Amino acid sequence: MGLITDQMPPMIEAFPGGPAFLTSLDSIINWARSSSLWPLTFGTSCCAIEVMMAAGAAHHDLARFGAEVARPSPRQADLLVLAGTIVKRMEPRLRTLYDQMAEPKYVIATGACAISGGPFIYNSYSTVRGAHEIIPVDVYVPGCPPRPEAFFYGLLTLQKMIREGETIRKPNERRKPVLANLPPGLTLEQLRKEMIQNLESHSVTKFSDKPTGGF
Amino acid sequence: MVNPEISSLEKRIQQSPSKTELNTQEYFVNMGPQHPSTHGVLRLVLRMDGETVQDIIPVLGYIHRGIEKKSESVGYRQQVHLTDRLDYLCSLMNNWGVSAAIEKAMNIELNDRIETVRTIVAELQRIQSHQLWWGVFGMDLGAFTPFLYGFRDREKITAIFEETIGARLTMNYFQPGGMMYDIHPDFVQKVKEFIKYFRPILKEYEDLFSGNIIVQERLRNVGIIDGKTALAYGATGPVLRASGIPYDLRKIEPYGVYSKVQFEVPVGKVGDCWDRYQVRMQEMQESLKIIEQLIDNIPEGKHMVMKFGAKIRPPAGRFYSQIETARGVFGTFFVSDTTDKPYRMHFRTPNFHNLWSVLKMAPGGRVADLVAILSSIDVVVPDMDR
Repeated sequence: MGLITDQMPPMIEAFPGGPAFLTSLDSIINWARSSSLWPLTFGTSCCAIEVMMAAGAAHHDLARFGAEVARPSPRQADLLVLAGTIVKRMEPRLRTLYDQMAEPKYVIATGACAISGGPFIYNSYSTVRGAHEIIPVDVYVPGCPPRPEAFFYGLLTLQKMIREGETIRKPNERRKPVLANLPPGLTLEQLRKEMIQNLESHSVTKFSDKPTGGF
Repeated sequence: MVNPEISSLEKRIQQSPSKTELNTQEYFVNMGPQHPSTHGVLRLVLRMDGETVQDIIPVLGYIHRGIEKKSESVGYRQQVHLTDRLDYLCSLMNNWGVSAAIEKAMNIELNDRIETVRTIVAELQRIQSHQLWWGVFGMDLGAFTPFLYGFRDREKITAIFEETIGARLTMNYFQPGGMMYDIHPDFVQKVKEFIKYFRPILKEYEDLFSGNIIVQERLRNVGIIDGKTALAYGATGPVLRASGIPYDLRKIEPYGVYSKVQFEVPVGKVGDCWDRYQVRMQEMQESLKIIEQLIDNIPEGKHMVMKFGAKIRPPAGRFYSQIETARGVFGTFFVSDTTDKPYRMHFRTPNFHNLWSVLKMAPGGRVADLVAILSSIDVVVPDMDR
């Protein structure tokens, strides 16, 4: 993306109507980035099972959000889903994995351990207290482990951030990390409705009037 | 500065004798910690000759969280929830192991309701764990459909647990002296529906996967370990039973209400990956049988015999108790000094001991065989590192 993000904007801005063209190009690029995230399978402990339930399994299907192509190699992925505890011995390996990923790259930290150390925040001599000590995190998903729905909520939050945030005029601009907590009192039905709305508003294909399968 | 880990590996390279007569060169390959088929952050250093595995050096510690040491400072009651995070696919059975050790130390008599519900829920989780294993086993061998099928049916049991327990994975349901809550009113009916649903599905599993010629070729006579060696390496559970030794704590030292129910212990003959596969598939059938015998007559009674929130102070001494989880023997050892915190707590976890049998299974095979072997012993890495 070096050519488009670095060299093209100043060239085009000189022409009449250039800024308007750039803005629409922005939205197209951000739309493409947000709707085809390729997650890296990085599961260290318990949260990995719930992420597997969310990502691979048929009941909660991650493919609806365009993020189902899970890759074990960091060079082919652009979303690091950090599922599980990070201990001091794993710390340099995680940093290496993050460095090997190509730009633009995003990080979702799921579970209490990746946020603050979780159950191991006190009296543990080997746990790293939160992923932010090693790599920049975009979205935190709380839970121990988070439900698949909570993970989806985090993913939708990240997609929203990508659509609004990063532009080709200001590449690599990162916002502050967001805590994607399911709001209290929110029922699963409301969450499903919001997900369907979100899917419909950003999709290129038309949905049928009555969504049959629902969630 | 020389990395001590690398320098020790270099020493191994220099010391390792070249056994092949052809003009080949031995080399080392790192498998893990970031690898899709090591089921977590297990790292294996392989000494290879071409594509043949000569030797394996497991390197542990990438998810060592110090649970044993932490147990000494949080106390008995709070400690139980940490055992969920050991072997997260058998979290209820780990809870049971610790609770049983504390109950044994304090001479707490449980009523029949607690024992029966514990047995039913533990067997449900054994099925759940084997379902996940079956799905991941298929995916490691290159078949994606089992993954979808296994997880689809796992979700049914997860829904039953969620209703009664309130959690999906790390349950923390069994406490010393009973259970956190009584079972949900719909529990019995839901479990019956599940048994009705899952019986034909098990046959579908067999039709889909077991008869496949590729699966048979990749599993038969791969990773053979005989009973004596498996015993000597400390393997338990399906790994040991597949080698022909019918060692199952549910039969030998019955706990819960296993002495009252009829079930068989499936054993293998050869001790290869195929036998381990078959043993687990038959174990699911046996677990269904056990649940069927118990689900209709759960006795009445309280779900907790201790006062809720009471301090746990076992008498001074050393105590050990063990149960059979889906992967083998889970033992809890603790030393009490009459305070409400253990002086020392140690877990004998099945995965740590099962792992070492790989040293005998894999040499001589290919890397692809190693993937099948690792999957067939069903490793859970946080359980090894604790």
